[in-house]
Amino acid sequence: MLETLPVTERAAAAPGRRLSRAAPFVVAALAALALWIAPLFLDTFAVNVLTRSMIYAVLAVTVDLLWGFAGILTFGQAAFFGIGAYATAMILAAYGATPLGIAAAVAAALVAPALLGLAVGWLSFYHRSTPLYASVISLVVPIVVVQLIYSGGEWTGSSSGLVGFDVLPFEIEGYFRLAALFLIVVTLAAWILVRADAGRALVALRDNEARCAYLGLNPRRLQIRLTAALAGIAGLAGFLFANASGVVAPENAGFLFGTELVIWVALGGRGTLLGPVLGTIAIDYLAANLSGDLPFLWQLLLGTAFVAIIILLPGGLADLVGRLWRALPVGRREPAPPRLVARVAGTEATGTGIPILKVENLAKAYGALTVLEGIDLEIRAGELVSLVGPNGAGKTTLMRCLSDGTEPFKGAIAVGGTPITGLTPNRIVGLGVGRKFQVASVFESLSVADCLRLARAPHDGLNPVGQAETLGLPQAALDVLRMTGLDRLLTRPTRLLSHGQKQALELAMVVALEPRLILLDEPTAGLTKAERTTIGTVLKALTAGGRIAAVLVEHDLDFVREISSRIVVLHQGRLVLDGTVEDVVGSELVRTIYSGGAHG
Amino acid sequence: MLLTLDILTTAAILFIVSIGLLAIFGVLKIINFAHGAWLTVGAYCAVVTAKLGLNPWAALPLAFAVGAALGGLAEHFIIRPLYRRPLDAILATWGLGIVVGQLVTLAFGRDVQLTPNLYAGTVEILGVDYSAYRLVAFGIALAIGTLFALIIERTRLGLSARAVIMNETLARSLGIDTGRVRLVVFMIGAGFAGLAGVLLTPLTSVDPNMGVSWLIGAFMLVMVADASYLALAAACLVFGAAQVLISTFVSPILGSIAIAVLAALVLRISPKGFSRA
Amino acid sequence: MVKWSLVGAAALALAATAGQAADGKPIVIGIPIGLSGANSVVAPSVVQSAELAVEEINAKGGVLGRKLVLEVADDASGAAGAQKAFDSLIYQKKVDVLISMETSAARNAGLPAVTKGKVPYIYTSFYEGHSCNRNMFVNAWVPEQQVPPVVDAFKAKGAKTYFLIGSDYAFGRGMLGFAKSYVEKTGGKVLGEEYLPMDGSDWTAIISKLKEAKPDALITSTAGGAPNVTLTKQLRGAGVTLPFANLALDEGTAKSMGADAEGVYLSASYVTGIDSPENKAFLAAMQKKFGAELRTPNDLSVPEYEAIYLYKAAVEKAGGTETAKVLEALPTVSVTGPRGTITMSKQHHAPLTMYLGQIQKDGTVKVAGTFTDVDPGAQCPKLP
Repeated sequence: MLETLPVTERAAAAPGRRLSRAAPFVVAALAALALWIAPLFLDTFAVNVLTRSMIYAVLAVTVDLLWGFAGILTFGQAAFFGIGAYATAMILAAYGATPLGIAAAVAAALVAPALLGLAVGWLSFYHRSTPLYASVISLVVPIVVVQLIYSGGEWTGSSSGLVGFDVLPFEIEGYFRLAALFLIVVTLAAWILVRADAGRALVALRDNEARCAYLGLNPRRLQIRLTAALAGIAGLAGFLFANASGVVAPENAGFLFGTELVIWVALGGRGTLLGPVLGTIAIDYLAANLSGDLPFLWQLLLGTAFVAIIILLPGGLADLVGRLWRALPVGRREPAPPRLVARVAGTEATGTGIPILKVENLAKAYGALTVLEGIDLEIRAGELVSLVGPNGAGKTTLMRCLSDGTEPFKGAIAVGGTPITGLTPNRIVGLGVGRKFQVASVFESLSVADCLRLARAPHDGLNPVGQAETLGLPQAALDVLRMTGLDRLLTRPTRLLSHGQKQALELAMVVALEPRLILLDEPTAGLTKAERTTIGTVLKALTAGGRIAAVLVEHDLDFVREISSRIVVLHQGRLVLDGTVEDVVGSELVRTIYSGGAHG
Repeated sequence: MLLTLDILTTAAILFIVSIGLLAIFGVLKIINFAHGAWLTVGAYCAVVTAKLGLNPWAALPLAFAVGAALGGLAEHFIIRPLYRRPLDAILATWGLGIVVGQLVTLAFGRDVQLTPNLYAGTVEILGVDYSAYRLVAFGIALAIGTLFALIIERTRLGLSARAVIMNETLARSLGIDTGRVRLVVFMIGAGFAGLAGVLLTPLTSVDPNMGVSWLIGAFMLVMVADASYLALAAACLVFGAAQVLISTFVSPILGSIAIAVLAALVLRISPKGFSRA
Repeated sequence: MVKWSLVGAAALALAATAGQAADGKPIVIGIPIGLSGANSVVAPSVVQSAELAVEEINAKGGVLGRKLVLEVADDASGAAGAQKAFDSLIYQKKVDVLISMETSAARNAGLPAVTKGKVPYIYTSFYEGHSCNRNMFVNAWVPEQQVPPVVDAFKAKGAKTYFLIGSDYAFGRGMLGFAKSYVEKTGGKVLGEEYLPMDGSDWTAIISKLKEAKPDALITSTAGGAPNVTLTKQLRGAGVTLPFANLALDEGTAKSMGADAEGVYLSASYVTGIDSPENKAFLAAMQKKFGAELRTPNDLSVPEYEAIYLYKAAVEKAGGTETAKVLEALPTVSVTGPRGTITMSKQHHAPLTMYLGQIQKDGTVKVAGTFTDVDPGAQCPKLP
């Protein structure tokens, strides 16, 4: 049963959408044509310099994907580029530019950097690694690679680099066109990727890695794959460079070149693809013309401009242009929202025997401070359990232990019979746990629809080349959207939502995961009365089906009394009471705890 | 014997070079890429001191003052606006490093500068002739470490800084002016870096790029130490020893990348580095 | 086909040169050089000596009645910069010849453009040897010329065992590699050969190895400038007082090392103290032209000066600037300059008179030995 719901009135934007989908191809074709005939009008100097600039621009695109979109600040692309270039030069020197030699060179230039990229990715990204750490590793990689090149003796030509190897049989115009085509293909592919649903995952990763993991996406795998893939692209650029210039040198792999790439991307405008491409070409071309006359001043100007742009205009020059463009009437265009579609919930009723959540003798300490001790808890489908207790009772810590098996704790936690010790959050999500954070955790630079689509990614996948026209959500998630009016705001960027709307969106995202167990940390904090009622209704409806259990941490006792099927009281890290609403509300102990008497 | 002295003095020099970076990393949670430029500025203070005909040791207070003053300006105009964008702050410090390097070049030229030796000659210690200055440097490292410990453990600033390191939000809610702590710590960190620049002059060439070669090692040591000066001392000893041993018994080329590679692996395996102990 | 130049200034320059009569058109000499980067310390002195040569030649009526013009481009002392500099000079400034000193990486990076652009190239920097290109001639020394005077002098003083220390790059390894084979060929022994990366700044472990090896003499060959100063400071700090030859040392760097450089030996084809009328006239002319701005002439700047005269002689012999004819004439012409009489007759390289010098307390170089017309050996067996 697949029920379609025409939600919005503006769904009839199909022609416009088709046009905008074709636009990149048209632009790319025009650019290819223009660059194809460009060598006829440019002098040899310009052709030569621009050939290299365009190869560098390919690298800028990879840096932009990593840094501008996925938030991984990298200085390492130079190393992958250098390895591709050296692999090419060494193979071509040994076997000549025979078809076999060239094929081997292409393969090596792609595979060798990609393998190193995998290793670097493994080193840089692990559960709880920091972006800073990844950046510093990316700085170490080119330094080590250059050191190896230096000590490579005749193999690598040491500091002199390699020169005089056979290259592809092209004239300089041929290389210009080859570089132009390569740049256009890479940029177009990147463009398609970032505009597609799958590209949203990159931005999501940059915005909020934790939320990605708690949607069941594996941020590490994504980051490692991206690093390896883009290392391969950089290696191919190295292949082209070695052929076009006929020489490779250690500085092509050096970290100074890596930082230069970042500077070009920053000035051009990170996260815009075209900005870095044009920025790289313009700056590199300008440098070829100006740096001879004012070598030190040039560096000084570039450095100053870089600092100024980072502070004052983080979006780079492309952002400035973009703002001007959007200020024009033609530049303002509202994207069409996807059509909302109801999906029948996929999870079948769980086996009756096994509780959804079973906690046995759980204990957790931060150093000498014991936060949780001797917790035993069992929760079955259909239950709506409220976790109450004063500040510092250990409620949030308990939630954290339930959703992240890498938290060091003692005792056992099992979800649906599977122990979670050592499991990362995304794998626990895979077991059917959804977690809503205390402070709404959504993707600030994405639209409402994109956030929801990412929540469905583990179930439905993401379109790698385009934007799906429909958005299928479980009925419960649709209900949340409808009750909070978010269904009319699908294209709105989430950073523009109100506090309550963000909370509702996060709830909808968690519900869209179709979890068996929902963990909610103070879902009503800071919400209006009406919003609170809505959320209560949703939760009750969810658990009433008898397939889903919910655990919520709550301070608002009235709210708790209204919706809970069971209440668990934590105090000073211990579970002091576990019973029905009547049991707990009537309890003397609870009154003492909340009146502050038992605080010390 | 020679090996032991080499390890101890290498560790001491690494400690001197990275302590300023550690202070900044601890409180501001950013790696200051302009650290190399700060070292360079410090070393050029030694050049200026020599040109003025002053006692070479007078360069120390001058370098600290100049480093701190420039650090204050940098914190106010560059780091503070980027408080919420830490990766951008790092990039901005890299840009600042380029600018400072080029300004030094414009002012002094690219040539290697002549600096007077702070402490020349050798000392016979336990049967080997050893560079007197390296032994002095070891003593200076101990002194700097002690001074640093006193600031951290015994002063109001140290208390505030520790609070900010542990939990900045909480520190602010306790009425600590975290903005001021960040400023003062950045100034002190930059001051220490300037100091280190002077102390490097008897060991290395003084030229506009001199700082760069010390950068990566210092970064890695500080990341491993994770805001604890005791952990930094331990890291300097362990990785300094690794560098010396690998250089001596395997190859100086591998030795020179030993710190970076080993520290990266240590962080991968134990993300909290040496600070857990 | 109409070719546009993207840069207005260049277009104007082209238009201006095109306006002159073909025979009166100036001869353009391109100097790709490291105005920034590692070579920026020495580059100004090289440009100065080129300027003097051009001024002198133009004052005497130029070459075949045509004036000489210099075009200087920054190669940033590296490969990427060199590609831009060579492209700019060859294709944009349309130079007739390239005459310059560069790092080996920059030279190699420029060679493909030299071949494609079909211009003669005189390389004026000493280097590790065996770089061969039909269009390139070298008028500076290679290891075969520089190392023997040093080793021979140490041997004469009774040194039997040697320790070699260098920077890990082509020049460092090339020089010490040759030094090792030469030491062994002449009956000596190499106790150790150690390298540190170019940007390495901690020589501690290597110096300790040196002290434990207890050799009779030490030969170093680091990258110029910073590593050289760093190594020397640390050697002196560690109390090393062996006979010590520094293959990468020049007079200027020796001065900036102050007392640390005292007693160090160097081997060069040019020192300012050469007692010849040509050298004295050259030094006086440089002093007169540049005055307070003068950068001390050295073993990298003087070959530039002489190379311009060599090119002049070749053009005059060839009767024009046509590349094929100039390349044919270049190995046959001789010029007597500050370093003596130079002919690039040996496989595109030149026999040179070498000087063994020792640094004095005040930083000046005292000539301790002269070796006339040292042969560069078989550098490019495939070239005539």
